[in-house]
Amino acid sequence: MRKDTGSPRPIRRVLVANRGEIAIRVMRACREMGITSIAVFSDADALAPHVAAADIAERIGPPAPAESYLDIGAILAAAQRARADAVHPGYGFLSENAAFARAVIDAGLTWIGPPPETQEALGNKLAARRAASDAGVPVVPGLLVSLDSASAADLASIGLPLMLKAAAGGGGRGMRRVDAEDDLPSAMEAAAREATAAFGDGTLYAERMVSPARHVEVQLLGDRQGNLACLGERDCSVQRRHQKLVEETPSPAVDGPLREALFDSARRVAGTVAFENAATVEFLVDAERNHYFLEMNTRLQVEHGVTELATGLDLVAWQIRVAAGEALDATVLDAEPRGHAIEARIYAEDPWDGFRPVAGTITAWEPAAGPGVRVDHAVAEGPLTPEYDPLLAKLMVHASDRPAAVDRLRRALDETLVGGLQTDIGFHRWLVDQPAFVSGDYHTGLIADGWLDGPDLPEADASLAALAALRARGAGPGAAAGAARLDASAWASNARNEALRRWPR
Amino acid sequence: MASLSARIDTGNGPADVAPAEGWQLAWIDQRRAIARLTDGQQSLTVLVEGAGTQWFVTIRGRRVRVSVQSWRERVLADAEAAGAEGGGPVEVRATLPGLVVAVRVEEGQKVAGGDSLLTIEAMKMQNEIRAPRDGVIGQVAVSVGQPVAAGVLLVRLD
Repeated sequence: MRKDTGSPRPIRRVLVANRGEIAIRVMRACREMGITSIAVFSDADALAPHVAAADIAERIGPPAPAESYLDIGAILAAAQRARADAVHPGYGFLSENAAFARAVIDAGLTWIGPPPETQEALGNKLAARRAASDAGVPVVPGLLVSLDSASAADLASIGLPLMLKAAAGGGGRGMRRVDAEDDLPSAMEAAAREATAAFGDGTLYAERMVSPARHVEVQLLGDRQGNLACLGERDCSVQRRHQKLVEETPSPAVDGPLREALFDSARRVAGTVAFENAATVEFLVDAERNHYFLEMNTRLQVEHGVTELATGLDLVAWQIRVAAGEALDATVLDAEPRGHAIEARIYAEDPWDGFRPVAGTITAWEPAAGPGVRVDHAVAEGPLTPEYDPLLAKLMVHASDRPAAVDRLRRALDETLVGGLQTDIGFHRWLVDQPAFVSGDYHTGLIADGWLDGPDLPEADASLAALAALRARGAGPGAAAGAARLDASAWASNARNEALRRWPR
Repeated sequence: MASLSARIDTGNGPADVAPAEGWQLAWIDQRRAIARLTDGQQSLTVLVEGAGTQWFVTIRGRRVRVSVQSWRERVLADAEAAGAEGGGPVEVRATLPGLVVAVRVEEGQKVAGGDSLLTIEAMKMQNEIRAPRDGVIGQVAVSVGQPVAAGVLLVRLD
């Protein structure tokens, strides 16, 4: 049975219920399609780039997400004021909230995404795991029922180490690795507490730890007519805190037979629900190339851009078309990915301090450009808004093959400048020279095992940094912008003048 | 003549780093702290932010803190750091050669961080030496009218 996501009709005015780079991404598709785009913004975002990128902008509340970008009533009121006829949720915020999707449809608007029934059916990870298993899709060995209703024998049969996961989970929350039986009670308690706090539901299940593993996902695009396209896979194995930092397509770990098996499993999972629009089915792949279903994300992914680079398709434009009732055409159904695409997520965080998010002001921003480079961002020079995600930009590259794409990423990272705060660009710069990454033979433990707290600063870079700072201080505040004070005597006399000036009188 | 040195924590604690020989710095956009380093053949774009003694240089995507200090600033900063740690005694030393023209404390006296301890005249200027932290004066090593060389112990703060 196929549920309607709103009456099929042309879409002319899209409200984008999001902010940052993804809001701009959606607005760009709207602009190209002749559709009016409507931004929503909190008080922290009145001058944000996504507001400038839209045709119309509506204020929805104070900076706190709960009172703005997560406030269904405020967003629907904005949609009404701006006479929107459709809503695109982006990723994050309300994108996988079935109540929001239903409220949008009930308000007579078109929901640009998988139907709320689909979101509900797959939102519970344990239920999705059961449905996938029933559909003949391999799942990670472990429980198909909640931990509460499992017998001690069931639990023992999983083996150690195991992963505790929250049924309502996502984003790595409510997850715990258990290495010894004695640790189980305390891990269960901690995971349940975290899951209850994050999702209001402390139900847990358990899976065997698959390690080493790669994280591989399949991009799906479906229409109301029942067409379903698998637009290649993405490898997202470079992770910290169970969150992705780098994604690439195709996966270096996937050969022809495995790709067929992954696509078949993805189609089976989508077949368990009334599916349309864009979604991603996530799998673990072990060293023996067995694959196991993890979860299905019923929304556009952060990393959709690498699939766009490889296929030449505009996934957001197709989301809008299928939401308006159009059928996928041959450009989608017969799409043949070309070459290799890699994305590096640029975050305001310190890789040398446990990838801790950093606050601050961006004093300079120079994105990379040139052949085969795409940068999706909403960076503006000025203070970072601490309320929101620390993702600054998505640096994507596309080349004819993987070695060329890695070389292109290295070049593009060297062109990217972010001033004023630490970012993970230095981590990415390290990564592209790692033998494991260059060869493609890496897994989800790459950062934990290989980066640790990051390498020491190389001597050559330290001496260059010392020179730069010494010369910059020597040039002093009086030096004209752009005018170099290079000679040693000028440097020395400036230093002397400054030393004297600072001397108390 | 004041000479500056650079100190960087490369991973094992702060250490003096000699500047790269033969390289020059040229500003591309000084307002936004963008500069180019070049040795005449190779070049590298970096960000150089900061003022005074505190600088940040972003090189190959990594933002590195660089302390650029004269010897005098180094001594003061070290004393301050030692004081902040609240550890053992702090030795306050002369940062420049000069003449002690006033001593404002005596042994056993309690002082607060920032209190004036003594005045040294150097290069025709009066230099107030202040307590780097709260404490008790353990020793006054100089007296009024005494010439001191750079690095000489002035006061020990317990």
